[in-house]
Amino acid sequence: MTTARQASTQAKDRPRRRGFRRPRIGSYSILGLCSILYIGPLLMLLLTAFKTLPEFFRDPTGMPESFGFENFVEAWSLAKFPSYLMNSVIYTVVATTICVLTSVLVAFPIARGYFKGSKQMLTLYVIALFLPPALIPQFQLILNLGLFNSRAGYILLFLVNPIGIIILVNQIKAVPRELDESAAMDGCGYYRFVLKIIVPLIRPAIATVTVLHAIGIWNELVLSIIYLTNDDLFPITRGLIVFESVYGSNWPPLAAAVLILMTPMLLLFLFLQRYIVSGLTAGAVKG
Amino acid sequence: MAIIDRKYLFDKGWKSAAPIALLLPGFLLYLLIAVGPSLATAVYSFTDATGIRGIPVSWIGFENYDEFLFIGAASRDNIAALVRTIYFCFFVTTIQFGFGLLLAVLLNRKLKGTKFFRTLFFLPVILGVAIQGLMWKLFLLPRGGPVAEFASLFGWTSEFLGGQPRQAFAWVIVVQIWANAGITMVIFLAGMQTIPERLYESARIDGAGGWQLFRHVTWPLLTPAVNTNLLLNIIGSLQAWQLFLVLIGYRPGTQVLGYLVFAEGFGQVSGEVTTAFRQGYAAAASIGLFILVLVIALVTNVFVSRREEKFLG
Repeated sequence: MTTARQASTQAKDRPRRRGFRRPRIGSYSILGLCSILYIGPLLMLLLTAFKTLPEFFRDPTGMPESFGFENFVEAWSLAKFPSYLMNSVIYTVVATTICVLTSVLVAFPIARGYFKGSKQMLTLYVIALFLPPALIPQFQLILNLGLFNSRAGYILLFLVNPIGIIILVNQIKAVPRELDESAAMDGCGYYRFVLKIIVPLIRPAIATVTVLHAIGIWNELVLSIIYLTNDDLFPITRGLIVFESVYGSNWPPLAAAVLILMTPMLLLFLFLQRYIVSGLTAGAVKG
Repeated sequence: MAIIDRKYLFDKGWKSAAPIALLLPGFLLYLLIAVGPSLATAVYSFTDATGIRGIPVSWIGFENYDEFLFIGAASRDNIAALVRTIYFCFFVTTIQFGFGLLLAVLLNRKLKGTKFFRTLFFLPVILGVAIQGLMWKLFLLPRGGPVAEFASLFGWTSEFLGGQPRQAFAWVIVVQIWANAGITMVIFLAGMQTIPERLYESARIDGAGGWQLFRHVTWPLLTPAVNTNLLLNIIGSLQAWQLFLVLIGYRPGTQVLGYLVFAEGFGQVSGEVTTAFRQGYAAAASIGLFILVLVIALVTNVFVSRREEKFLG
């Protein structure tokens, strides 16, 4: 932030160059053109969600005649929506909590090198990103554990996050080692030290991992198609696809349903954009 | 436990095993649900495993691979899917790379409103395939939808996602790029922020114009971000298939390898999935995809490290 601000004040101090305005107009027009592709689908969704079906068929792209919430109410009541939403919340909260807690406990001793082979263990987390897809044997595993079509089985799939470990390890390495030593001298136990002292210090990394992991679970569609057949267990993404196959061209309530699903993501994104972006670009620039 | 480092000063005695004991749940879970299954994919590819519990599984050697590549009409479809995967990768990588770079260059210019644009272009990344797919299905509504209306200004009509396989395929490419260009953009932007402003200053003093600044300052110093994006885009697009599922389903003439694995292993219809499918065969197909990704990624990596040497010495 500060560098950006410094840079912009520098830009102001610099004498205005000839031809400076023209490229700026050019930039804005290209950006404007590109944003049509991004605002367009969003706007279409929004307008559709406020139309009645006959209105939608008459003129799909026009403005709705009135802005009522009938479609949202309909979407909510039609397709077990509250139950799907509840399932998504349960899967996301439970799996993310377990994943982040266990990840911190894995990342800390690795980052400190507190046992032999910790380097190799980190490597094992890094190469995971290049291993073949685990889809088929994972399915056989869940099937043979008797966890097919169950909440526990579905949650089990989301309990690890190798990228999260890498992000946490990097952040823990920035915490000075002397802290461990003095805490240990003062008689602080290991578990208490990690949870009460390390965790608050690496809060940004934890926020990043939490948000990324939660988004991944919230958005997951394919695994829910593979592992869940009982529609009482469906997360909301799956519910949306079922909704689509049942209500086909009845776009207004479908659009409303999409908007309902999108809202928590949008809010999360607007408030936590910093963490999401830093997680996705983590390590990318260092190369 | 003796494996504890001697710099470790917390509790002595049996309690000193705490780090290992607390690490184990996470690590074992990782072996159990990620690394193990991943390696076991190769094992399963030599069996006739199905998705049904209790049916005996037997070794069949290379039969799955043989059948996948050489036997009957299905193998021709498989080869076609493989070629299509490479096309998909080529178009998605090149266009997404260029588009992401363009956006990053424009948004790195300290214009007003860059924050808004950056948020807007990044937004689809966090939405997930279900929302991305449904949004574009609506946007590409063949009768009266916004794109259809726009196209009809030029007298062009199309069924878009429901049209000819080639057309549907092309639209999936568009949506794939739309959905992921935001990541490419932020990685480029992060790379650009590491380039010191004074380099631009001195180049300007030497009389460099906009294009020359980009060509001789931004582009070479952006090498790490360029390489990351190239690799991420290539690997990502070779493995991508979920938008196909949401946008067009399993249609002849549009499948890519990733979708083929899913369809063979878990059934072909998105709504109803039975478990009586050929998982051994699907495992062989996913090993095929893995080898394709590996080969292309390694070749790219060689190319990319040469570039890095050239620019960053």
